Amino acid sequence: MELRGTVKILDQNYKVGDVVKAKIIVIHKMDTGFTKDKESGKSFPRFYMKEITATYNGMIVAHFELDVATSTNPVIQFPFRVTDAGTLVVDFINSEDDKAQKKVAITPIS
Amino acid sequence: MERRSFVKGTFALATIGLLNPILFGHKLYAAEEAVEMPFKELLDEYVSGKKTEDGSSIMTLNIPEAPENGSVVPVEVTINYPMNKDNYIANITVLTTKNKANKALSFDLTPANGIAYLYVNVKMGQTQDVVILAKTNKGKIFKASQNVRVALGGCG
Repeated sequence: MELRGTVKILDQNYKVGDVVKAKIIVIHKMDTGFTKDKESGKSFPRFYMKEITATYNGMIVAHFELDVATSTNPVIQFPFRVTDAGTLVVDFINSEDDKAQKKVAITPIS
Repeated sequence: MERRSFVKGTFALATIGLLNPILFGHKLYAAEEAVEMPFKELLDEYVSGKKTEDGSSIMTLNIPEAPENGSVVPVEVTINYPMNKDNYIANITVLTTKNKANKALSFDLTPANGIAYLYVNVKMGQTQDVVILAKTNKGKIFKASQNVRVALGGCG
């Protein structure tokens, strides 16, 4: 199954040394495993976004372990310090081990 | 249409219908009941015998007291703590208290983050507390919580 997620830098004019916030949105179910099918009475399996890792110029700046109490289509914001121009790479893994990757360019103004 | 072929056709369709959950999509139904994650167990596992300190003085929580809908509750935390090389917040964990599965998110930080900040959406089945746990790199644990009144619960 294809995973859909986006990454966005919330600040616009930032310099080297500033702390910026990044926003991650994942379009994904967060099935708890407790909801039941009304017709058959069987429960849907636990199916959720498991891990999100953000890497900035080869260094891990954020590592998230999500679980089922996070809302459906999780939204996460986290800060990091801009040290150089480069890319922020975000990896998504869900509980079925499906993977996806998103990149966003970091371009500080001089 | 001949009667024979009609009967064959219906049988074939019925078989496809039965096999449907196996053919299309990964698991449709769970084989077993999901395991509950009570709040106390999660807290004990995180704290592991150490004392927690009251973090309400250094943590700024921005959580609505009565959100419209329990399935999306925005939780925003800012921790006023230095993020130096040898003294920083290494982990922030968001838990709920009365859901069936209470773990929402665990966030590992490094000094590269600059400030200790986190925003995440949590779902809640009923009125309960949101508990924020923060661990420093030296093993000190801060705890802060806020009660959230939920009128319309999300599936918990």
